[in-house]
Amino acid sequence: MKESCSGELLERFFDGEVTEGERSLVEGHLSYCRTCQHALKSMEGLRHLIKAPVDEVDEKENLYWVWQRIEREIQSREKPPWKEIVWHWLDVTSMLRKRVWVPAAAAIVAILLALAPSLLKKTPSSSDLSVVEYVESQSYNVMVYESEKENVTVIWLLESPEMEGAPQS
Amino acid sequence: MKRISSLSFFAVILLLLSSSVTFAQVQARVRIIEASNEGFAVDPILRDVHSQLGSLFSFTSYRLLKDANLGLVGNRPVEVPVRPGKSVEVTLIGEYKNLVELRIRIKREGVSVLSTHVRLTSERTILIGGPRQGEGTLIFAISARF
Amino acid sequence: MERDEAELISRCQKGNQEALKQIFDLYNKKVYRIAYGVLRHREEALDIVQEVFIKLFRSIKNFKGESRLSTYLYRMAVNTAIDHMRKIRKPALSSLEGEEGFQPAEGPEKGPDRIFLYKELEEKVNEALGKIPADQRMALVLREVEGLSYQEIADSMKCSIGTVMSRLHYGRKKMQDLLKGYVTQETEE
Repeated sequence: MKESCSGELLERFFDGEVTEGERSLVEGHLSYCRTCQHALKSMEGLRHLIKAPVDEVDEKENLYWVWQRIEREIQSREKPPWKEIVWHWLDVTSMLRKRVWVPAAAAIVAILLALAPSLLKKTPSSSDLSVVEYVESQSYNVMVYESEKENVTVIWLLESPEMEGAPQS
Repeated sequence: MKRISSLSFFAVILLLLSSSVTFAQVQARVRIIEASNEGFAVDPILRDVHSQLGSLFSFTSYRLLKDANLGLVGNRPVEVPVRPGKSVEVTLIGEYKNLVELRIRIKREGVSVLSTHVRLTSERTILIGGPRQGEGTLIFAISARF
Repeated sequence: MERDEAELISRCQKGNQEALKQIFDLYNKKVYRIAYGVLRHREEALDIVQEVFIKLFRSIKNFKGESRLSTYLYRMAVNTAIDHMRKIRKPALSSLEGEEGFQPAEGPEKGPDRIFLYKELEEKVNEALGKIPADQRMALVLREVEGLSYQEIADSMKCSIGTVMSRLHYGRKKMQDLLKGYVTQETEE
Protein backbone atom coordinates (compact mmCIF):
# COMPACT_ATOMS: atom_id res chain seq x y z
CA MET A 1 0.00 0.00 0.00
CA LYS A 2 2.40 2.57 -1.26
CA GLU A 3 0.02 5.49 -0.94
CA SER A 4 -0.11 5.05 2.84
CA CYS A 5 3.60 5.73 3.01
CA SER A 6 2.89 9.19 1.68
CA GLY A 7 3.97 11.92 4.08
CA GLU A 8 0.96 14.00 3.10
CA LEU A 9 -1.59 11.38 4.10
CA LEU A 10 0.24 10.65 7.34
CA GLU A 11 0.32 14.34 8.20
CA ARG A 12 -3.37 14.70 7.50
CA PHE A 13 -3.99 11.63 9.65
CA PHE A 14 -1.90 13.17 12.42
CA ASP A 15 -3.93 16.39 12.16
CA GLY A 16 -7.25 14.54 12.10
CA GLU A 17 -8.04 15.76 8.60
CA VAL A 18 -8.79 12.40 6.97
CA THR A 19 -11.94 10.60 5.92
CA GLU A 20 -13.00 7.40 7.69
CA GLY A 21 -11.68 5.37 4.81
CA GLU A 22 -8.32 7.10 4.84
CA ARG A 23 -8.10 6.66 8.62
CA SER A 24 -8.60 2.90 8.38
CA LEU A 25 -6.05 2.72 5.59
CA VAL A 26 -3.41 4.57 7.59
CA GLU A 27 -4.11 2.71 10.83
CA GLY A 28 -3.76 -0.57 9.03
CA HIS A 29 -0.51 0.57 7.47
CA LEU A 30 0.89 1.82 10.76
CA SER A 31 0.44 -1.60 12.31
CA TYR A 32 3.45 -2.84 10.33
CA CYS A 33 5.34 0.12 8.84
CA ARG A 34 8.21 1.13 11.12
CA THR A 35 9.11 4.17 9.02
CA CYS A 36 5.65 5.68 9.34
CA GLN A 37 5.48 4.79 13.04
CA HIS A 38 8.74 6.65 13.57
CA ALA A 39 7.56 9.63 11.50
CA LEU A 40 4.33 9.80 13.53
CA LYS A 41 6.23 9.65 16.81
CA SER A 42 8.48 12.41 15.57
CA MET A 43 5.50 14.64 14.82
CA GLU A 44 3.99 13.87 18.22
CA GLY A 45 7.26 14.79 19.89
CA LEU A 46 7.47 18.06 18.01
CA ARG A 47 3.87 18.92 18.88
CA HIS A 48 4.58 18.35 22.54
CA LEU A 49 7.68 20.54 22.43
CA ILE A 50 5.79 23.40 20.79
CA LYS A 51 2.67 23.09 22.93
CA ALA A 52 3.87 22.19 26.44
CA PRO A 53 5.59 25.50 27.31
CA VAL A 54 2.50 27.40 26.19
CA ASP A 55 0.25 25.22 28.39
CA GLU A 56 2.60 25.79 31.31
CA VAL A 57 2.58 29.55 30.98
CA ASP A 58 -1.13 29.70 30.25
CA GLU A 59 -1.93 27.85 33.47
CA LYS A 60 -0.17 30.44 35.59
CA GLU A 61 -1.37 33.54 33.80
CA ASN A 62 -4.32 35.65 34.93
CA LEU A 63 -5.15 38.31 32.39
CA TYR A 64 -7.65 40.31 34.44
CA TRP A 65 -5.19 43.18 34.86
CA VAL A 66 -4.77 43.26 31.05
CA TRP A 67 -8.49 43.91 30.86
CA GLN A 68 -8.05 46.85 33.23
CA ARG A 69 -5.42 48.31 30.92
CA ILE A 70 -7.72 47.82 27.91
CA GLU A 71 -10.59 49.49 29.72
CA ARG A 72 -8.42 52.45 30.73
CA GLU A 73 -7.14 52.82 27.19
CA ILE A 74 -10.64 52.78 25.69
CA GLN A 75 -12.03 55.15 28.28
CA SER A 76 -9.17 57.61 27.96
CA ARG A 77 -9.98 58.01 24.29
CA GLU A 78 -13.71 58.35 24.71
CA LYS A 79 -14.24 60.29 27.91
CA PRO A 80 -15.65 63.83 27.57
CA PRO A 81 -13.67 66.49 29.44
CA TRP A 82 -14.14 65.99 33.15
CA LYS A 83 -15.21 69.56 33.63
CA GLU A 84 -18.19 68.94 31.40
CA ILE A 85 -19.19 65.87 33.39
CA VAL A 86 -18.93 67.64 36.73
CA TRP A 87 -20.70 70.78 35.51
CA HIS A 88 -23.52 68.85 33.96
CA TRP A 89 -24.04 66.72 37.04
CA LEU A 90 -23.90 69.55 39.49
CA ASP A 91 -26.16 71.87 37.56
CA VAL A 92 -24.61 74.63 39.64
CA THR A 93 -26.38 77.49 37.85
CA SER A 94 -29.75 76.62 39.32
CA MET A 95 -28.20 76.43 42.74
CA LEU A 96 -26.58 79.85 42.39
CA ARG A 97 -29.92 81.40 41.58
CA LYS A 98 -31.13 80.40 45.02
CA ARG A 99 -29.79 81.69 48.27
CA VAL A 100 -27.90 78.59 49.26
CA TRP A 101 -24.44 79.72 48.38
CA VAL A 102 -23.73 81.31 51.74
CA PRO A 103 -24.19 78.17 53.88
CA ALA A 104 -22.54 76.09 51.10
CA ALA A 105 -19.48 78.34 51.07
CA ALA A 106 -19.32 78.20 54.86
CA ALA A 107 -19.45 74.41 54.80
CA ILE A 108 -16.64 74.25 52.22
CA VAL A 109 -14.40 76.58 54.22
CA ALA A 110 -14.98 74.52 57.37
CA ILE A 111 -14.06 71.31 55.56
CA LEU A 112 -10.96 72.91 54.03
CA LEU A 113 -9.74 74.08 57.41
CA ALA A 114 -10.21 70.62 58.85
CA LEU A 115 -8.36 68.97 55.97
CA ALA A 116 -5.58 71.55 55.53
CA PRO A 117 -2.84 69.47 57.21
CA SER A 118 -3.39 66.47 54.94
CA LEU A 119 -3.90 68.63 51.85
CA LEU A 120 -0.52 70.22 52.40
CA LYS A 121 1.23 66.91 53.00
CA LYS A 122 4.06 66.46 50.56
CA THR A 123 3.94 63.51 48.27
CA PRO A 124 7.26 61.70 48.33
CA SER A 125 9.21 61.52 45.13
CA SER A 126 11.10 58.42 44.18
CA SER A 127 14.45 60.20 44.06
CA ASP A 128 14.22 61.43 47.67
CA LEU A 129 13.88 58.06 49.26
CA SER A 130 15.75 54.83 49.58
CA VAL A 131 13.98 51.70 48.46
CA VAL A 132 14.15 49.91 51.82
CA GLU A 133 12.61 52.02 54.54
CA TYR A 134 13.20 49.46 57.23
CA VAL A 135 14.01 45.78 57.58
CA GLU A 136 13.78 43.60 60.65
CA SER A 137 14.54 39.99 61.36
CA GLN A 138 14.82 38.11 64.63
CA SER A 139 16.20 34.98 62.98
CA TYR A 140 18.77 36.24 60.47
CA ASN A 141 21.44 38.81 59.86
CA VAL A 142 20.32 41.00 56.99
CA MET A 143 22.25 42.56 54.17
CA VAL A 144 20.73 45.15 51.81
CA TYR A 145 22.24 45.83 48.43
CA GLU A 146 20.94 48.29 45.81
CA SER A 147 21.94 47.89 42.21
CA GLU A 148 21.12 50.93 40.12
CA LYS A 149 22.30 49.23 36.94
CA GLU A 150 19.91 46.30 37.23
CA ASN A 151 17.13 48.36 38.87
CA VAL A 152 17.08 45.78 41.62
CA THR A 153 17.32 45.89 45.40
CA VAL A 154 18.45 42.77 47.20
CA ILE A 155 17.66 41.89 50.78
CA TRP A 156 19.73 38.89 51.73
CA LEU A 157 19.18 36.88 54.88
CA LEU A 158 22.35 35.45 56.33
CA GLU A 159 22.51 32.41 58.53
CA SER A 160 26.22 32.90 58.96
CA PRO A 161 28.55 35.81 58.11
CA GLU A 162 29.36 34.37 54.68
CA MET A 163 26.81 32.32 52.85
CA GLU A 164 27.05 30.34 49.59
CA GLY A 165 25.51 32.22 46.71
CA ALA A 166 25.30 35.56 48.50
CA PRO A 167 25.17 38.52 46.06
CA GLN A 168 28.43 39.37 44.39
CA SER A 169 29.17 43.04 45.03
CA MET B 1 -33.14 67.61 47.92
CA LYS B 2 -31.02 68.85 45.05
CA ARG B 3 -29.34 71.39 47.35
CA ILE B 4 -28.39 68.68 49.82
CA SER B 5 -27.07 66.37 47.12
CA SER B 6 -24.95 69.17 45.56
CA LEU B 7 -23.48 70.07 48.94
CA SER B 8 -22.80 66.44 49.65
CA PHE B 9 -21.05 66.17 46.31
CA PHE B 10 -18.76 69.10 47.19
CA ALA B 11 -17.89 67.50 50.51
CA VAL B 12 -17.13 64.13 48.96
CA ILE B 13 -14.91 65.68 46.25
CA LEU B 14 -12.90 67.55 48.87
CA LEU B 15 -12.45 64.47 51.00
CA LEU B 16 -11.23 62.52 48.01
CA LEU B 17 -8.82 65.26 46.95
CA SER B 18 -7.40 65.53 50.44
CA SER B 19 -6.20 62.03 50.49
CA SER B 20 -2.75 61.33 49.12
CA VAL B 21 -3.69 57.71 48.64
CA THR B 22 -5.54 56.82 45.44
CA PHE B 23 -8.04 54.01 45.08
CA ALA B 24 -6.56 52.54 41.93
CA GLN B 25 -5.67 48.89 42.39
CA VAL B 26 -2.02 48.02 42.54
CA GLN B 27 -0.82 44.75 41.08
CA ALA B 28 2.14 43.05 42.68
CA ARG B 29 3.89 40.16 41.08
CA VAL B 30 5.51 37.69 43.44
CA ARG B 31 7.77 35.05 41.97
CA ILE B 32 9.24 32.43 44.22
CA ILE B 33 12.42 31.03 42.81
CA GLU B 34 14.55 28.12 43.93
CA ALA B 35 18.19 28.85 43.22
CA SER B 36 20.82 26.17 43.49
CA ASN B 37 24.04 24.81 42.10
CA GLU B 38 22.38 21.55 41.12
CA GLY B 39 22.45 21.41 37.34
CA PHE B 40 22.39 24.25 34.82
CA ALA B 41 18.73 24.69 34.07
CA VAL B 42 17.12 28.12 33.99
CA ASP B 43 13.35 28.23 33.90
CA PRO B 44 12.40 30.06 30.65
CA ILE B 45 9.72 32.02 32.49
CA LEU B 46 12.53 33.72 34.41
CA ARG B 47 14.07 35.01 31.23
CA ASP B 48 13.18 38.62 32.00
CA VAL B 49 14.99 38.57 35.36
CA HIS B 50 17.73 36.13 34.45
CA SER B 51 20.25 38.83 33.60
CA GLN B 52 19.63 40.40 37.00
CA LEU B 53 19.93 37.08 38.81
CA GLY B 54 23.02 36.09 36.85
CA SER B 55 24.86 39.32 37.59
CA LEU B 56 23.98 39.29 41.27
CA PHE B 57 24.24 35.63 42.29
CA SER B 58 26.55 32.76 41.59
CA PHE B 59 23.90 30.03 41.32
CA THR B 60 23.81 27.90 38.20
CA SER B 61 20.18 26.85 38.25
CA TYR B 62 16.94 28.79 38.77
CA ARG B 63 13.58 27.13 38.99
CA LEU B 64 10.30 28.98 39.33
CA LEU B 65 8.24 27.49 42.16
CA LYS B 66 5.39 29.93 42.08
CA ASP B 67 4.27 32.95 40.11
CA ALA B 68 1.47 34.96 41.68
CA ASN B 69 -0.17 38.18 40.54
CA LEU B 70 -1.77 39.91 43.51
CA GLY B 71 -4.34 42.67 43.42
CA LEU B 72 -3.50 44.84 46.40
CA VAL B 73 -5.88 47.14 48.22
CA GLY B 74 -4.72 49.50 50.94
CA ASN B 75 -3.79 47.87 54.25
CA ARG B 76 -5.17 44.46 53.38
CA PRO B 77 -2.48 41.79 53.59
CA VAL B 78 -2.37 39.15 50.88
CA GLU B 79 -0.60 35.92 51.71
CA VAL B 80 1.07 33.62 49.19
CA PRO B 81 1.87 30.13 50.47
CA VAL B 82 5.29 28.83 49.53
CA ARG B 83 5.50 25.43 51.18
CA PRO B 84 3.61 24.00 54.14
CA GLY B 85 4.41 26.30 57.00
CA LYS B 86 6.10 28.94 54.82
CA SER B 87 4.49 31.94 53.21
CA VAL B 88 5.12 35.48 52.02
CA GLU B 89 2.70 38.26 52.89
CA VAL B 90 2.41 41.52 50.93
CA THR B 91 0.45 44.57 52.10
CA LEU B 92 -0.07 47.83 50.26
CA ILE B 93 0.81 50.58 52.70
CA GLY B 94 0.78 53.58 50.40
CA GLU B 95 0.41 54.50 46.78
CA TYR B 96 1.71 57.67 45.19
CA LYS B 97 1.93 58.98 41.68
CA ASN B 98 5.20 57.25 40.88
CA LEU B 99 5.79 54.70 43.61
CA VAL B 100 4.11 52.34 46.02
CA GLU B 101 4.95 51.36 49.57
CA LEU B 102 4.71 47.72 50.42
CA ARG B 103 5.16 45.79 53.63
CA ILE B 104 6.57 42.37 52.94
CA ARG B 105 6.79 39.60 55.52
CA ILE B 106 8.34 36.21 55.15
CA LYS B 107 6.68 33.84 57.57
CA ARG B 108 7.57 30.45 58.93
CA GLU B 109 4.96 28.54 60.95
CA GLY B 110 2.96 31.77 61.20
CA VAL B 111 5.87 33.70 62.72
CA SER B 112 7.50 36.51 60.80
CA VAL B 113 11.18 35.77 60.11
CA LEU B 114 11.60 38.93 58.08
CA SER B 115 9.58 42.10 57.91
CA THR B 116 10.42 44.97 55.58
CA HIS B 117 8.92 48.18 54.26
CA VAL B 118 9.95 48.98 50.72
CA ARG B 119 9.19 51.68 48.19
CA LEU B 120 8.98 50.52 44.61
CA THR B 121 8.67 52.31 41.31
CA SER B 122 7.18 50.34 38.45
CA GLU B 123 10.70 49.65 37.10
CA ARG B 124 12.24 48.29 40.28
CA THR B 125 12.28 44.71 41.49
CA ILE B 126 13.06 43.66 45.02
CA LEU B 127 14.77 40.32 45.57
CA ILE B 128 14.61 38.78 49.03
CA GLY B 129 16.74 35.72 49.42
CA GLY B 130 18.58 33.44 51.71
CA PRO B 131 16.11 31.01 53.31
CA ARG B 132 17.21 27.46 52.62
CA GLN B 133 14.96 25.17 50.61
CA GLY B 134 16.37 21.64 50.51
CA GLU B 135 19.56 21.79 48.44
CA GLY B 136 18.71 25.24 47.19
CA THR B 137 17.97 28.74 48.35
CA LEU B 138 14.71 30.60 48.03
CA ILE B 139 14.58 33.97 46.30
CA PHE B 140 11.41 36.05 46.32
CA ALA B 141 11.22 38.46 43.37
CA ILE B 142 8.62 41.16 43.94
CA SER B 143 7.64 43.95 41.58
CA ALA B 144 4.65 46.24 41.26
CA ARG B 145 2.49 47.63 38.46
CA PHE B 146 0.30 50.63 39.01
CA MET C 1 -23.42 32.36 13.78
CA GLU C 2 -24.82 31.58 17.21
CA ARG C 3 -27.54 33.95 18.37
CA ASP C 4 -25.72 34.68 21.64
CA GLU C 5 -22.57 35.56 19.75
CA ALA C 6 -24.52 37.75 17.30
CA GLU C 7 -26.15 39.58 20.19
CA LEU C 8 -22.79 40.08 21.90
CA ILE C 9 -21.27 41.47 18.71
CA SER C 10 -24.22 43.77 18.15
CA ARG C 11 -23.90 45.21 21.66
CA CYS C 12 -20.17 45.66 21.17
CA GLN C 13 -20.75 47.44 17.88
CA LYS C 14 -22.93 49.92 19.75
CA GLY C 15 -19.99 50.71 22.02
CA ASN C 16 -21.04 48.57 24.96
CA GLN C 17 -17.90 47.88 26.98
CA GLU C 18 -19.54 45.18 29.04
CA ALA C 19 -20.04 43.24 25.83
CA LEU C 20 -16.36 43.68 25.02
CA LYS C 21 -15.52 42.42 28.51
CA GLN C 22 -17.56 39.30 27.86
CA ILE C 23 -15.75 38.76 24.57
CA PHE C 24 -12.46 39.30 26.41
CA ASP C 25 -13.42 36.70 29.02
CA LEU C 26 -14.24 34.20 26.28
CA TYR C 27 -11.17 34.65 24.12
CA ASN C 28 -8.33 36.28 26.05
CA LYS C 29 -6.58 33.00 26.78
CA LYS C 30 -6.79 31.82 23.18
CA VAL C 31 -5.24 35.05 21.93
CA TYR C 32 -2.56 34.87 24.62
CA ARG C 33 -1.69 31.30 23.72
CA ILE C 34 -1.28 32.20 20.06
CA ALA C 35 0.82 35.26 20.86
CA TYR C 36 2.99 33.40 23.36
CA GLY C 37 3.28 30.38 21.07
CA VAL C 38 4.71 32.59 18.33
CA LEU C 39 6.72 35.10 20.32
CA ARG C 40 7.73 32.98 23.34
CA HIS C 41 7.96 36.14 25.38
CA ARG C 42 5.47 36.80 28.17
CA GLU C 43 5.49 40.58 28.16
CA GLU C 44 5.24 40.84 24.40
CA ALA C 45 2.45 38.28 24.32
CA LEU C 46 0.51 40.29 26.92
CA ASP C 47 1.00 43.44 24.83
CA ILE C 48 -0.43 41.58 21.85
CA VAL C 49 -3.50 40.58 23.86
CA GLN C 50 -4.08 44.18 24.88
CA GLU C 51 -3.58 45.44 21.33
CA VAL C 52 -5.89 42.85 19.80
CA PHE C 53 -8.85 43.65 22.04
CA ILE C 54 -8.43 47.40 21.66
CA LYS C 55 -8.29 46.92 17.87
CA LEU C 56 -11.37 44.72 18.09
CA PHE C 57 -13.35 47.38 19.91
CA ARG C 58 -12.40 49.96 17.31
CA SER C 59 -12.94 47.80 14.26
CA ILE C 60 -15.93 45.70 15.24
CA LYS C 61 -18.30 48.13 13.53
CA ASN C 62 -16.86 46.78 10.26
CA PHE C 63 -17.48 43.16 11.22
CA LYS C 64 -20.25 41.87 9.01
CA GLY C 65 -20.61 38.40 10.52
CA GLU C 66 -19.36 36.57 7.46
CA SER C 67 -17.05 34.53 9.65
CA ARG C 68 -17.20 33.48 13.26
CA LEU C 69 -16.01 35.91 15.90
CA SER C 70 -13.27 33.47 16.88
CA THR C 71 -11.93 33.46 13.33
CA TYR C 72 -12.00 37.26 13.24
CA LEU C 73 -10.06 37.36 16.50
CA TYR C 74 -7.57 34.73 15.42
CA ARG C 75 -6.93 36.70 12.25
CA MET C 76 -6.35 39.84 14.26
CA ALA C 77 -4.03 37.98 16.63
CA VAL C 78 -2.08 36.48 13.72
CA ASN C 79 -1.66 39.84 11.97
CA THR C 80 -0.77 41.69 15.16
CA ALA C 81 1.81 39.09 16.14
CA ILE C 82 3.36 39.08 12.67
CA ASP C 83 3.47 42.91 12.61
CA HIS C 84 5.10 42.82 16.01
CA MET C 85 7.71 40.33 14.83
CA ARG C 86 8.55 42.53 11.87
CA LYS C 87 8.70 45.67 14.00
CA ILE C 88 11.13 44.30 16.53
CA ARG C 89 13.26 42.80 13.73
CA LYS C 90 14.39 39.81 15.59
CA PRO C 91 13.38 36.18 15.27
CA ALA C 92 11.12 36.87 18.30
CA LEU C 93 12.61 33.96 20.11
CA SER C 94 15.98 34.97 21.45
CA SER C 95 18.34 32.66 23.15
CA LEU C 96 19.79 33.88 26.42
CA GLU C 97 23.35 33.73 25.12
CA GLY C 98 24.84 37.11 24.44
CA GLU C 99 22.54 38.97 26.86
CA GLU C 100 24.39 41.26 29.23
CA GLY C 101 24.95 39.69 32.61
CA PHE C 102 24.32 36.15 31.45
CA GLN C 103 26.94 33.73 32.65
CA PRO C 104 26.67 30.64 30.42
CA ALA C 105 26.76 27.54 32.52
CA GLU C 106 29.64 25.26 31.77
CA GLY C 107 28.55 21.72 31.30
CA PRO C 108 29.50 18.56 29.46
CA GLU C 109 29.58 18.57 25.65
CA LYS C 110 26.06 18.55 24.23
CA GLY C 111 25.02 16.04 21.58
CA PRO C 112 21.89 14.32 20.33
CA ASP C 113 22.68 11.18 22.24
CA ARG C 114 22.82 13.02 25.58
CA ILE C 115 19.70 13.25 27.72
CA PHE C 116 18.79 16.96 27.84
CA LEU C 117 17.30 18.77 30.71
CA TYR C 118 13.80 19.72 29.57
CA LYS C 119 14.40 23.44 29.92
CA GLU C 120 17.51 23.38 27.77
CA LEU C 121 15.57 21.48 25.14
CA GLU C 122 12.88 24.11 25.26
CA GLU C 123 15.53 26.74 24.49
CA LYS C 124 16.53 24.71 21.45
CA VAL C 125 12.92 24.57 20.31
CA ASN C 126 12.53 28.31 20.72
CA GLU C 127 15.69 28.87 18.72
CA ALA C 128 14.46 26.56 15.96
CA LEU C 129 11.07 28.28 15.83
CA GLY C 130 12.90 31.55 15.39
CA LYS C 131 14.67 30.21 12.33
CA ILE C 132 11.65 29.14 10.29
CA PRO C 133 9.65 31.66 8.23
CA ALA C 134 6.93 33.58 10.07
CA ASP C 135 4.04 32.09 8.12
CA GLN C 136 5.22 28.53 8.79
CA ARG C 137 5.71 29.38 12.47
CA MET C 138 2.23 30.85 12.64
CA ALA C 139 0.63 27.85 10.95
CA LEU C 140 2.46 25.50 13.33
CA VAL C 141 1.36 27.44 16.39
CA LEU C 142 -2.28 27.59 15.28
CA ARG C 143 -2.26 23.86 14.62
CA GLU C 144 -0.09 22.48 17.41
CA VAL C 145 -0.96 24.91 20.21
CA GLU C 146 -4.58 25.73 19.48
CA GLY C 147 -5.56 22.64 17.52
CA LEU C 148 -7.28 24.62 14.79
CA SER C 149 -8.47 22.70 11.73
CA TYR C 150 -6.93 23.38 8.32
CA GLN C 151 -10.01 25.39 7.36
CA GLU C 152 -9.80 27.51 10.51
CA ILE C 153 -6.10 28.13 9.94
CA ALA C 154 -6.82 29.07 6.31
CA ASP C 155 -9.51 31.53 7.43
CA SER C 156 -7.25 33.03 10.09
CA MET C 157 -4.28 33.41 7.76
CA LYS C 158 -6.37 34.31 4.72
CA CYS C 159 -4.94 31.64 2.51
CA SER C 160 -6.03 28.35 0.96
CA ILE C 161 -6.09 24.97 2.69
CA GLY C 162 -3.38 23.82 0.31
CA THR C 163 -1.16 26.65 1.46
CA VAL C 164 -1.84 25.73 5.09
CA MET C 165 -0.82 22.14 4.45
CA SER C 166 2.30 23.27 2.65
CA ARG C 167 3.29 25.63 5.47
CA LEU C 168 2.71 22.93 8.07
CA HIS C 169 4.64 20.38 6.08
CA TYR C 170 7.70 22.57 5.47
CA GLY C 171 7.54 24.03 8.95
CA ARG C 172 7.57 20.58 10.54
CA LYS C 173 10.29 19.37 8.23
CA LYS C 174 12.53 22.32 9.01
CA MET C 175 11.87 22.00 12.76
CA GLN C 176 12.72 18.32 12.66
CA ASP C 177 15.94 19.04 10.78
CA LEU C 178 16.92 21.74 13.26
CA LEU C 179 16.08 19.51 16.20
CA LYS C 180 17.53 16.35 14.69
CA GLY C 181 17.78 13.68 17.36
CA TYR C 182 16.17 15.78 20.09
CA VAL C 183 12.59 15.15 19.06
CA THR C 184 12.93 11.38 19.08
CA GLN C 185 14.84 11.66 22.37
CA GLU C 186 11.92 13.59 23.86
CA THR C 187 9.34 11.01 22.81
CA GLU C 188 11.43 8.20 24.18
CA GLU C 189 11.60 9.75 27.68
